[in-house]
Amino acid sequence: MFIKMKNSVYLLLILAMVSCKKDLNLKPFDKLSPDNAFNTEADLQLYANSFYKILPDGSSIIRGDVMSDYMGGKDVNNYIIPGAYTATQSSGWSWGDLRNVNYFLEHYGQAKIPDEAKNHYAGMARFFRAMFYFEKVKRFGDVPWYSKTMTINDQDLYKGRDPRTMVMDSVLADLDFACANIRSKKDNTCSQITKWVALAFKSRVCLFEGTFRKYHPEMSLPDNAKWLQAAADAADEVIKSAQYSLNTAGDQTMTYRNLFINETPNASEVMLAYVCNKSLRVFNDANWYFTSATYGNRISLIKTFTDTYLNIDGSRFTDTPGFDTLHFEQEVKNRDLRLQQTIRMGNYKRDGQIAPPDFTYTYTGYQPLKFTVDSKATDGVAENNNSIPIIRYAEVLLNKAEAKAELNGFTAEDWNSTIRPLRQRAGLKNTDMPQTIDAYLVAKYYPGVKNVALMEIRRERGIELILEGFRFYDLMRWGLGSLLTNPYVGLYVPAMDVLMDLNEDGKPDVSFVKKIPATKVPGVYYFLIDGDQTKLSAGNSGNLIWLGNINRKWEDYKYVYPIPYNDLVLNPALLQNRLWE
Amino acid sequence: MTHRYLLVKGGALPLNNRQSGFRYGLKFFGLLLLTAFINLLPAQAQKKTWIKGLIEDEKGQPVPGASVQLKSGTDSIKSFAVTDEKGVFVFDNSHQQGPFVFTIAYVGYVTQTITKNSLDPQKEQSIYVVLKESSAALSEIVVVGYGTQKKLNLTGAVDQVGKEVFENRPMTSATRGLQGVLPNLNIRMTDGKPIRGATYNVRGTTSIGAGGSALVLIDGVPGDPNLLNPNDIESVSVLKDAASAAIYGARGSFGVVLITTKTPAKNNTQLTYSSNYSLNDRTIKPKFITNGYEWAKNFDEAYYAWNDYKSHPAKANSVFPFSLDYLDELKRRNDDPSLSKTDIDPATGNYVYYGNTDWFKELYADKNPATEQTLSASGGNAKSEYYLSGRYMSQNGIFRYNPDKFKMYNIRAKGAVRPFDWLKLENNFDFSQRTYFFPILNHPGNTPVWRRISDEAFPVAMLKNPDGSLTENAAIVFGSFISGGNYSDQTQLLLRNTSRFTTSFLHDKLHVNGDFTYAYTSSVETRLYTPVPYSRKPGETLVRGESKMNEENDRTTYTGMNFYADYEQRVAKNTFKILVGYNYENTLFKSRYYQHDGMINAGLPDFSLMNGLNYTLTGGGYEWRTMGGFFRLNYNYDDRYLLEINGRYDGSSKFPESQQFGFFPSASAGWRVSKEKFWQVSPKAISDLKLRASYGALGNGNVNPYQFLQTMSVSKLPMSINGILPDYTQQPNVIPNGLTWEKSTTLNGGIDVAFLQSRLKVSFDKYTRNTTNMFTVGLPVPAVFGTSVPKGNYADLQTKGWELSVNWSDQFKAGNQPFAYSFGVVLSDYQSYITRFNNPKKLINTYYEGMKVGDMWGFVNDGYFQSQDEINKYDIDQSFIRVSNANVLMPGDIRFKNLDGDKKITQGKGTVDDPGDQRIIGNTEPRYAFGITGSANWNNFFLSFFFQGIGKRDWWPGTDASLFWGQYNRPYSWMPEEIMDNRWSETNRDAYFPRFRGYTALNSNAELTVQQSKYVQNAAYIRLKNLTVGYNLPAALISKIKMKNARLYFTGQNLWTWSPMYKIMKTFDPEVIEGSDPELNNNAAGIGAGNGMAYPMLKTYTVGLSVTF
Repeated sequence: MFIKMKNSVYLLLILAMVSCKKDLNLKPFDKLSPDNAFNTEADLQLYANSFYKILPDGSSIIRGDVMSDYMGGKDVNNYIIPGAYTATQSSGWSWGDLRNVNYFLEHYGQAKIPDEAKNHYAGMARFFRAMFYFEKVKRFGDVPWYSKTMTINDQDLYKGRDPRTMVMDSVLADLDFACANIRSKKDNTCSQITKWVALAFKSRVCLFEGTFRKYHPEMSLPDNAKWLQAAADAADEVIKSAQYSLNTAGDQTMTYRNLFINETPNASEVMLAYVCNKSLRVFNDANWYFTSATYGNRISLIKTFTDTYLNIDGSRFTDTPGFDTLHFEQEVKNRDLRLQQTIRMGNYKRDGQIAPPDFTYTYTGYQPLKFTVDSKATDGVAENNNSIPIIRYAEVLLNKAEAKAELNGFTAEDWNSTIRPLRQRAGLKNTDMPQTIDAYLVAKYYPGVKNVALMEIRRERGIELILEGFRFYDLMRWGLGSLLTNPYVGLYVPAMDVLMDLNEDGKPDVSFVKKIPATKVPGVYYFLIDGDQTKLSAGNSGNLIWLGNINRKWEDYKYVYPIPYNDLVLNPALLQNRLWE
Repeated sequence: MTHRYLLVKGGALPLNNRQSGFRYGLKFFGLLLLTAFINLLPAQAQKKTWIKGLIEDEKGQPVPGASVQLKSGTDSIKSFAVTDEKGVFVFDNSHQQGPFVFTIAYVGYVTQTITKNSLDPQKEQSIYVVLKESSAALSEIVVVGYGTQKKLNLTGAVDQVGKEVFENRPMTSATRGLQGVLPNLNIRMTDGKPIRGATYNVRGTTSIGAGGSALVLIDGVPGDPNLLNPNDIESVSVLKDAASAAIYGARGSFGVVLITTKTPAKNNTQLTYSSNYSLNDRTIKPKFITNGYEWAKNFDEAYYAWNDYKSHPAKANSVFPFSLDYLDELKRRNDDPSLSKTDIDPATGNYVYYGNTDWFKELYADKNPATEQTLSASGGNAKSEYYLSGRYMSQNGIFRYNPDKFKMYNIRAKGAVRPFDWLKLENNFDFSQRTYFFPILNHPGNTPVWRRISDEAFPVAMLKNPDGSLTENAAIVFGSFISGGNYSDQTQLLLRNTSRFTTSFLHDKLHVNGDFTYAYTSSVETRLYTPVPYSRKPGETLVRGESKMNEENDRTTYTGMNFYADYEQRVAKNTFKILVGYNYENTLFKSRYYQHDGMINAGLPDFSLMNGLNYTLTGGGYEWRTMGGFFRLNYNYDDRYLLEINGRYDGSSKFPESQQFGFFPSASAGWRVSKEKFWQVSPKAISDLKLRASYGALGNGNVNPYQFLQTMSVSKLPMSINGILPDYTQQPNVIPNGLTWEKSTTLNGGIDVAFLQSRLKVSFDKYTRNTTNMFTVGLPVPAVFGTSVPKGNYADLQTKGWELSVNWSDQFKAGNQPFAYSFGVVLSDYQSYITRFNNPKKLINTYYEGMKVGDMWGFVNDGYFQSQDEINKYDIDQSFIRVSNANVLMPGDIRFKNLDGDKKITQGKGTVDDPGDQRIIGNTEPRYAFGITGSANWNNFFLSFFFQGIGKRDWWPGTDASLFWGQYNRPYSWMPEEIMDNRWSETNRDAYFPRFRGYTALNSNAELTVQQSKYVQNAAYIRLKNLTVGYNLPAALISKIKMKNARLYFTGQNLWTWSPMYKIMKTFDPEVIEGSDPELNNNAAGIGAGNGMAYPMLKTYTVGLSVTF
């Protein structure tokens, strides 16, 4: 009995094992696999959507200028404090986005769809690969070029860096392919990559590379003219397409700022944006960032830069005698209309209340409002729904103008089609090209620039694109890193202990004091001048100087960031950038 | 022999031969009943020896210390005697009325009851009793895999507890009841949330790769102990070593927990109803500064100090305006309490608050009630039996506004019939439903309320405006509790049915059994978010937060079947046993998640009444299957030599095709030394001694399914592209080649000893478990690889540990009544070392070869800088560690030891060989887990206690641990009272905390953020988990209303706790130091990286009543 039972049990057991063995092959039912993810155009679109993660988000764009020469914040970036920044602190050596693009380029060919469609998606992939590499090259200079995905044993993982020229040529090839193959239908949601977006971006990349090569002779990089020409041509192609124009609709004092504070991007001028949407709950945190003493960096423009805004009549503010001792409420009057659309001044109101510069958030008095909406509802929460531009038509105009000026081919017609419309939009009465070089700009900003047009183009670029994240790399490509040590100069303070009314509403707003008085006037912020962190340029009066006590120093090797220490450890063949060792 | 002769001579009864005395008495019981009544009535008590008795064991040895209770006729008073060292007991006073019932009890022996009708109260008489060793000692049955085993014959490492663990102790889940009761069954209850479960860990660190915890089986089938009615549990046993778990194959690689539910006793019909009522309170009530001005001064100072005494705060966190003017005004109002606590800012029209708010008082209700009602009925006869039970439990939550609510319903129906004497058919049906309502914040990221309070609930802020509306700060912290409409509501539903047949052939030598189980578990959680109204100025109403609802709907379908047979054969002193079987299980999990926003009507949350643009609908799930054939061979020679061999051929769908099957054998042996002839030790000293050893290797099947396949998931892009949030997919994970199973190999040695006639029992096990080929990260490759490095079988781990259990039970005479008592201690420990890991540079921020698991690296404190002069002269560059924004040292800042002598405090290369100035400063693994139980019974009163704790554990208060750091963390955070007078100052130079500066316990590399020796906390603790006192109503009383038993009791749980941490801070419970609320946002999930901000651990007071008919 026992034996029989045992046998039958074994028999059953073996039967069960054999019959079920293939039942153990269970596949996931809620995920795709490489076999079924690249067959149709919809498949390619689905994958290509992942590339958009490479784009910066709104909250990071608005922080883009924290390290720049035209503003100060609550502290000084370690990068320009001697000895404070080393390869250990460095970051940005992440390559996941590239592998994602290359994986696509290795698989999209599986799709059985027309070549036009295939090439469109390949163009998308290559556009984003160019964008990826552009960021890497800007930051690190030479980087290794990879156009394939690697296995864990691939020796190429350990190769050294490729020369910048080779990498940038590859970037250009990617961009050319993208411009030639991405579909050209204009996207009025300003959120997708089109041929025009690719061209505009190409003009940005080429202008960067051309000027970088030109202004960094120490790196012996060839062909700057080729790049500048490519920049001008790409920009020109966008202009000639006549798909875009500067926004001039509505109240002239808002045409500029309306590009930054509205949920729906202005499709005439904005080419690509980080589109925020309240219904979809896609937000940025601009209000919180710019109006919190602790959350944000308390970014403030410096007077040296706001001085470059022209008078409304087109004349230079800095040519006005005594411009540097004008009281705040006076100096901001009758200027380029972009000034009042960039900082708090005059009768600026928030939630219907007059809102002068608030010294709980600003250190200089020139408090930015470009990206903040006037309602205070989102001041303490990351729920701003204004879309943030990534590429604007205005930049394309500036790119073209600058490239042509650098090539010494800038014509009156170029002025009329690029800089003049920007100035007209800014409300300037006289928008003719000046005939003389601005000594103030030479002295404070661009000592090497002799070309009047180029000088005005740089002025224009600084003002037009302020806070949009261009400035640091503009300084890098112009070889002007030293501007990062500009003192953080604030408004003019006629004397200590004086109640100052910054917006002429009859109520004093701020008083600069050595000691906070026992009896205070309500509504006045008493700004402590401690002679160290905060000073007045002439002791008891003069321009406010913020963080003059911190030693800032520019070293030319900082034009490229160091390779992060840990990555060099993993692959010593990368070799550190010069003087960062 | 002599004793017995003397006694027999003095006796009046024809004293029966000693083996059949008991039976003899019974036989004559009926006949003598009437006579006894008549004869004994007029008898009078005399002061002389009336009854003498001798009690011996089966070997003829006298049994001293046995208790003898005598009850005569209807006397409600009992007499009580205890045997002397010669085993003799005496009753002096005669009783008047028969029948005389003698109850003889002694630890380790079967309690005997002898009834005598014919005793003459006037004469001296004697009785002789032979006590049999109790079946509990001789044949205590332990549940093992696919069967049971006599405890004496166990060869593996198995422990078991019975239902007493769960008695008189209301609890929201059985898991809570199991914490600390079984040595090395390690359960961490990380907070007091009623739905909190825990993973069942057996014997410490399992695998740092695929992970894995113990397999939990309920009546032989995988199940969730958190949905089980604790009152249904008959026993819980833990199979700890590979040998005893091998029969479960790959899933038993890290131990098996077998929970067995109650079965009806034959021929015993009973109905039990129990009811209890509890009040819950928090174990810890942190004391914070609630005076607004005092708090604000500290806030200002902390902020000012971090900013090098250069700038004052302009806001307290996100919305509360702050300035020095405000502080002055606050002082004025604080000094003159008659002034109003709110005002209106003329500039903005907004309210200004000068509050003294105790936010915890607003958050928590004072006490929260709970109740449990259970009813069970069971009975049976030769042909059928049944067990039915039901339970309702509810617990009201801790919050003052919109409190959480826990409800649980359980029904179990078990029945069996025996159509033939060889066949039994059983069915076991289980229904459980658990609902939990929990208020949540309307805040992105589902921040738990405690985290939000810690950085937005300032004492100066207030809950409500003068007009009764919520303030903005209140709206941020827990306004959503007050306004309502923000909650999580979850329902867990379990339906499980097991049908089973068991047979018995060949005179019970052969059994063929089989069972089939179907289980359906559904878990639905609905979360509702309704914007919270608040106002900043009179007449204004703003709202904060989203209007949306989401629901997650998970369903798990399980089918499983077992088919097995065992056969037992005895040949002389040899006993052979064989078990073979087959097991098949399939689990299908499917999930749905949907979300829609834009509620049309705030009072009607339904997906049909939502019109927002934002909606999500996703699915998902997995399926896995295992099948295995298993066997067990037992050989037993004379109960002296024991041998067991287990094995299982196991297949799992979780592995790649070529690796799906594995064979896992094990062996164990036992030797009962005390059964040997040479063993001459008296059983009074050592009554039993057994040595055990086992060895086995198991593959780890506890991995997640599909780990070995390239998959591309589809998700929603968090960006608006072309007007929508489009879906996307992306590159698949890279999978490695040539993967194989993780393996755990356990070597176990054990000893079981019973001393003093089994009054004292000691069991000790020592083990080494090697987990090899663990599935962990590969060697880091250059970042250009572009995705995470595929995992592989790259690591080994060794865990060594031991467990000890000691039990003492005895009784003595107290006030003429037996006083029975017992003590038990369980204690266990383990330590794990990494023996292989892909980290050739030995970086200390991850595992490295030779590392003891849990080691913490950190800097070493060297006191404080006590003067500026000292700082000036200090020649060690400490700038790596920041003390302030500009990093300017001042007296009272911490000095760190320069361990490597390079005059610079650094982290070196961050490797074992060059850790800079770091060394190992502690270990986060809990050690010496213990449980101490005790119980006593006397005269219907009973008492029991249970202490549980951890003997050693280090804990580093992490970055968000503001319960520990107070305003050293965020300056606007809460401020524990303990910190106030324990901060460095010129006059308090030895204070525990340094110069008072905010952000130093928050910002990276700041003075208190870097791990360092001084602030490592000793998180050991001892806790009185349970204390019960009760009274069984006298049978004489209750039998009149046909009650068999009635019991009243009072229970306290978590009544008292002590931890060395309390010497510094008493702001959180030593068990609640893991990550915060995992259901919402477990942002600090790492062990030891927690922050104490979680549902408080509860202290419970219960009164209960239980009656049995």
